[in-house]
Amino acid sequence: MIGYIGKRMIAIIPIVFIATLVTFGLIHISPVDPAEAYLTAAHIYPTPELLAEKRHEFGLDRPLLTQYVDTLKRIAQLDFGTSYLTNKPVIDEVKDKFPATAELALWSILFSALVSIPLGILAAVYKNSWIDMVSRAISYFGASIPQFWLGYLLIFFFAVKLDWLPVEGRGSWENLVLPTLTLSMVMIALYTRMLRTSVLEQLQEAYVQYARTRGIRERVIMLKHVLKIAITPFITGMGMTMGRLLTGTIIVEQVFSWPGFGRYFVEAIFNRDIPVIQCYVFISACLFIVCNLIVDLVQLYMDPRISAKGRAEH
Amino acid sequence: MSVQQRKRSTLIMITTLLLVLIIAGCSNKENSSASSSASGDQAASAKSITMSWPRDIGTMNPHTYNPSQLFAQSMIYEPLVSYQKDGKLEPALAESWTISDDGKVYTFKLRQGVKFSDGTPFNAEIVKKNFDSIMINKKTHSWLGIIGVLGKTEVVDDHTFRMTLTEPYYPVLQDLSVVRPFRFLGAAGFPDDGDTSKGIKVPVGTGPWMLADYKQDEYAVFKRNPNYWGTAPAFDQITVKIIPDAETRVLAFEKGDLDLIYGEGMISLDAFQQLRENDKYVSELSDPVGTRDLLLNSSNPKLSDVRVRKALQQGFNKKAMVEGVTSGLEEPADTALSKNYPYTNVDLKPIEYNVEQSKALLDEAGWKLPAGGTVREKDGQKLEFELIFDKTDPIQKAMGETIQAEWSELGVKVNLTGLELTVQIKRLKANDFDLYFWYNYGAPYDPHSFINVVASPGFGISETLTALPMKKELDEQVHAALSSTDEKKRQELYTSILTTLQEQSAIVPISYVKKTAVYQKKISKFVFPANRDENPFVGMQLSNP
Repeated sequence: MIGYIGKRMIAIIPIVFIATLVTFGLIHISPVDPAEAYLTAAHIYPTPELLAEKRHEFGLDRPLLTQYVDTLKRIAQLDFGTSYLTNKPVIDEVKDKFPATAELALWSILFSALVSIPLGILAAVYKNSWIDMVSRAISYFGASIPQFWLGYLLIFFFAVKLDWLPVEGRGSWENLVLPTLTLSMVMIALYTRMLRTSVLEQLQEAYVQYARTRGIRERVIMLKHVLKIAITPFITGMGMTMGRLLTGTIIVEQVFSWPGFGRYFVEAIFNRDIPVIQCYVFISACLFIVCNLIVDLVQLYMDPRISAKGRAEH
Repeated sequence: MSVQQRKRSTLIMITTLLLVLIIAGCSNKENSSASSSASGDQAASAKSITMSWPRDIGTMNPHTYNPSQLFAQSMIYEPLVSYQKDGKLEPALAESWTISDDGKVYTFKLRQGVKFSDGTPFNAEIVKKNFDSIMINKKTHSWLGIIGVLGKTEVVDDHTFRMTLTEPYYPVLQDLSVVRPFRFLGAAGFPDDGDTSKGIKVPVGTGPWMLADYKQDEYAVFKRNPNYWGTAPAFDQITVKIIPDAETRVLAFEKGDLDLIYGEGMISLDAFQQLRENDKYVSELSDPVGTRDLLLNSSNPKLSDVRVRKALQQGFNKKAMVEGVTSGLEEPADTALSKNYPYTNVDLKPIEYNVEQSKALLDEAGWKLPAGGTVREKDGQKLEFELIFDKTDPIQKAMGETIQAEWSELGVKVNLTGLELTVQIKRLKANDFDLYFWYNYGAPYDPHSFINVVASPGFGISETLTALPMKKELDEQVHAALSSTDEKKRQELYTSILTTLQEQSAIVPISYVKKTAVYQKKISKFVFPANRDENPFVGMQLSNP
């Protein structure tokens, strides 16, 4: 087991290598010069001398290969340099932003799981009943409404009209409610339907018929057998979503003024803040790999068929 | 490994990983909730106001640029002279000043009894220390004219500061009134090596406000400076909430979380209209703070003929366009600079909308509509241009589309290209464009910065004007105006320069951009600052609750 996890963690190295290479390439293909972007953002007119000075300061006047090797060396030592924009160490800023994003991501995952698991099962068990209809309506709504619009609507009703919750910002639990709801809506929409479908599929399987003929109670069949298998795609999906949420939820962070990782990254892109972009790419790659690993481990635990030979020895 | 064992170790792994994530998520919770409740309490106090701003206020270093926000810097730090309505320069930290006859020596009598917010005295010594620190990074500030001519600075006595220029340059005082870099940090703020460009220790200034509490990307709280020398502000505290989204800003305002939304482009045109119609709030527009111009690049052979440029200016209904696109937030402009700057109150003949005259001018210039064609031609070339605009700016896009439609009636084809701002500026500088939306700098930078770019290459404007037959004289007039020590002569030169530019129609005035302010009735008096970059809290009054 430990060896398996170790192997998976080692996979981070080539993935990060490719990710940094692609990022580096894209930054340099883009027609915007980071030094120029910096000066534009500062409302300073980019005169040639100033540009040259900034390029030198940022180390952009060195040969591309040197720049890239240097980047790799620094990343290998987990040194992400200082932000062009704020002149502060990138890692300190990330330490400040990441918890905000993680907080929102975890609550959203938790909330969507709490809603979509029971709703998905009930919708399958009581197929075509009112509860199935309700779950379908929620899914259509959640899947089709743009996230920013949902965010504004929630703010309008719950913060402005009813005055129950704050409009924006981060702080108490009250600040968490609306962004969590906004983020969860689309996940609930997706996962409820997903779970319903896979539960229905399992109910058609021979083992369910067999269990029924053996006289096992429906509830036991459902919870002990069906759900265990039906929930696998759900977990895979959640794991991937987790990775996505942890790397920042740009729209929600923007709408709710949430001081998170996604907003930080988007700003870095506009400013061509290369150290920040590279650090972000590195952390995102690691997060995705870790989330995938968690998903695989959970599946290993839930479904012994996968584990016996194949994956663990892979 | 047995199935049971494997299951157990897997479970342990998963739990550990999840725990790590959860701890990461919660580690910061404690202090953030503490601070937010603090800011909540403060908001409840009656003698305070809350404003929103789209970006973090930054490091509050008076001598550096990004990411510090100008309005916030101007709350803490003060200039020697202050730019007031219609370009009047008034004493601030300097009580009075004298200028030598040759225009090269400026002697400032500093205001006595001024203290920094930490209680240390403001004197000539600290003024010199700030100047020295600024001049270490001369290159960074080279966009400001005074930097190029500043020779020597000296402490004459405790309250007299003198600077000597290498050559006369009249807008010295205007340059000293800008928000950065010539403002004054107290001794406690200086790093040990005296070079502020890498950072300051604490933001200590002489201004009416001081930074009391701050959380990056969330909020900043300013409290009254107890040592302030001037009229104390009418309220104790200002909270600036960082709200990046324009619609959220409006919702927060409607809920009453914000007392004021102020700035340029802070809320959408629709939202402004909607708030303006609501009696619960007060909405105001400032005097023009800048002009939106359309550059017609005369170095393009098709645009080198003044008749073509005039025809294009006459060929669209500016008034209808500006009112339609901006819903009255901007005002149609007849001249490249509005009249509320020094030296710009000059009578210039507007180039009026007239489609018939426009068509006649194009015919006269040799651009004829071919039989059955829709685009004018001359010597086998089509009268076709590319208009580049900032793709994130809905106003530029809408105006571009209007101009495209109206000029197509004249037989002129316009292709619209939306670009990222940085790319757009790059193309301006490289003189690689036909038509370009450009803005002047506003007070206190204009009109001298405007005429400076007309004559100095490297900014794209001088290049745009290269085909003007009188370009050389124009440049000479600009240099003469900038170094002139005679007020009357300077006005004559400005009149001549502005008249030439108006007649040549290469810088087509479109509209005057204004600042907007929307506020709750709790604010009984609001005054727009004359300096575009200054904070709007000077002169603000609150009604008694």
